[in-house]
Amino acid sequence: MLVNGPPRGGISRRSLLRIAGLGAAAGALPLSLSGCGAGAGSGGTTLRWVANKPEVLAVFDELAAQYNASQSGVVIDHDGTQTSIVPQFVRGGPPDVACYNYNLETSNYVRGGVLADLAALPAAQTINPDYQSLVTQYASYEDETSVLPWSVTAAGVIYNVQLFADNGVEVPETYSQLVEACQKFRSAGVTPIYTTARDVWTLGQGMWDYATGSGADVPAFFAAKLAEGDESGKPTFLETFSPVMRNVLDLRQYFNPDFASKTYADGNLAMAQGQVAMYLQGPWAFGEIAKTSPDLELGTFSIPMTEDADDRAVRVNLDLAMWVPTASASVEDAQAFVSWMMQPEICTAYNQENLAFSPLQGAPSTADPRIAGLAPYLDAGRIYQGAGTFVPNTIPLQNYFQGALLDGDGEGMLRTLDADWDRLAARSALS
Amino acid sequence: MSTTAPPRRSEAPVAVRPQRRRKVDAAFYVMLLPALALFTLLIIGPALAGMYFSVTNYVGYGEYSFVGLANYLVLFTDPRILAAYGFTLGFSVVAVLLVNAIALFLAVLLNSKIRFKTALRGVFFIPMVVSGIVIAYVFNYIFSTSLPAVFGSLGITAWSSSILANESWAWVAVVIVTAWQAIPSALIIYLAGLLAIPEEVYEASSLDGATPWRQFTAITLPLVAGYVVINTVLGFKNFLNAYDIIVGLTNGGPGTATSSVAMTIFTGFTSGDYAYQMANAVVFFIITVVISVLQLRIINRRGVSL
Repeated sequence: MLVNGPPRGGISRRSLLRIAGLGAAAGALPLSLSGCGAGAGSGGTTLRWVANKPEVLAVFDELAAQYNASQSGVVIDHDGTQTSIVPQFVRGGPPDVACYNYNLETSNYVRGGVLADLAALPAAQTINPDYQSLVTQYASYEDETSVLPWSVTAAGVIYNVQLFADNGVEVPETYSQLVEACQKFRSAGVTPIYTTARDVWTLGQGMWDYATGSGADVPAFFAAKLAEGDESGKPTFLETFSPVMRNVLDLRQYFNPDFASKTYADGNLAMAQGQVAMYLQGPWAFGEIAKTSPDLELGTFSIPMTEDADDRAVRVNLDLAMWVPTASASVEDAQAFVSWMMQPEICTAYNQENLAFSPLQGAPSTADPRIAGLAPYLDAGRIYQGAGTFVPNTIPLQNYFQGALLDGDGEGMLRTLDADWDRLAARSALS
Repeated sequence: MSTTAPPRRSEAPVAVRPQRRRKVDAAFYVMLLPALALFTLLIIGPALAGMYFSVTNYVGYGEYSFVGLANYLVLFTDPRILAAYGFTLGFSVVAVLLVNAIALFLAVLLNSKIRFKTALRGVFFIPMVVSGIVIAYVFNYIFSTSLPAVFGSLGITAWSSSILANESWAWVAVVIVTAWQAIPSALIIYLAGLLAIPEEVYEASSLDGATPWRQFTAITLPLVAGYVVINTVLGFKNFLNAYDIIVGLTNGGPGTATSSVAMTIFTGFTSGDYAYQMANAVVFFIITVVISVLQLRIINRRGVSL
């Protein structure tokens, strides 16, 4: 059975630690440290709340202060330190409650059963099932609700509204319309699609995730891949994504010619200077672009990769989600805090102010025109978590994709992915 | 506190007593204990734990079970791991050769009768005190922005895209930056070696009519040969562990063209692939030990010691 007690300590070789400079982790012997106990002498409980999204640390500080002022039983101690949480679980001192990015790595805590079941909270019933189901796409533990979505971000092709209007280009709905638009921009001397292949993460979250999400059924593919059973009967990357890959490689002719050596910062600058029609980045890029051109009119659309406009979908991720470890100083108090955080006037308000979408049922869509183009997809549940986010980063998918964009061998890349995936499955690190 | 010196026994003529190599004073063992305990706790213990986990399917926390040698068997068929070993070994050999050639050349120059010798030595040592990741980011900018701009304005279009974005040649950039950082430490060792060569042998050889090149091959090189071996051993050890400079320059790319073994091992920490990369680390450890032992045997044959 799965352990709920203090996890065993992980000890690692010295050379690794030296490389990583993780001096602190050297003490990863089974120390029985409890990260944060009961508030000394104050009578109440102090809960360490990990919420370290760098851009909104001040918001979290404010929320913690509000909660502490609203009741007297519990003190929320906001921890915004920019460190990994894994070592905290290893040492047996996880956060008491967290509002944290939910991804494949975080989903390991779900799979390991070290998070408390939140299904009984009334707040759990207020969440849109479309978003709640994103959690279990990565991992689940029995039938528990281990994680509650708190902030959903959506990403698509950012486009320069003025350039589209000037060149008489409509937002493309099919792949051939996309190609047509690219040709128009190219003949007008505008870079159709700006790509920044030197920073591989921009490719992973960008062209790879968006194109595969609109060109294939990503959730179904990974549901099949992660199901029990051996790999033989399952779909392969090669057969699932080959058609998309061909289209992606065809689009390269519309990239900036020097895309191989350009970085994220170059992309934001080029976009801000109005030289570029389309740019495949998430909402985090808006702030960077605005540093140079605060008044540039931008919009977002879902990239079409097939001839069927209904195939288009939008890449989302659970930018922030709330969970409570079973090892929390007080699971009950932590759950009360989660319920408080899930109130619409807090959760929905945060999302509207931060270019994100509220996971609550019936919450109004975010009005910011820069992401309004994605709202219909979210309302209709045509959303997916990026194909790249399902692949453990022991498989360097982003680097493989970068290689494919440089040498044009898309099928080779997909074959490598299949081989790596099978190898990983064979040593049962996946499930 | 008084500063009375302990009585020195050896001064007494009693020392003549024929003493067999008998018991060492227990105090020495006692003094050794703290070091031994710390070494065991911080190095041997974790190393053994790593070996232990390499035969499990441990992901870093939670429960695990034994999988025998499965991790090792998969390791030897994983093309990405094998490619990382190929890159790391090839890169180390090239870097060792380049660093030693340039460092020896510079050492001979800095040891000759030139002006501003001390100031120049100081300048050449600067790269040693700058952190690798800083150097890598500075060179990243040079390779990605400055050099392409220079070549572009000269009209050399073949060179106007970044070498770091070129799958076939990115490794050259990694070698250049690594060498830039590693040359000073090799240089110091060579300078020490050159200072140890007595001036008289050069005088004698020049009286015999030896050219500077002949002096270098017949006198300098044989007399610093031991230092060459030392630099090779130290350099190899460092280059095999290549990590920070590659992360700052290429992050293993383009594709996976410049992924070093240390980088692949480190991915195991964040991706739940802990046990597998522990197996990788054990294999890497064995390879490093074998290379070091071979080099040490060569050193012993040459009669020098580290």
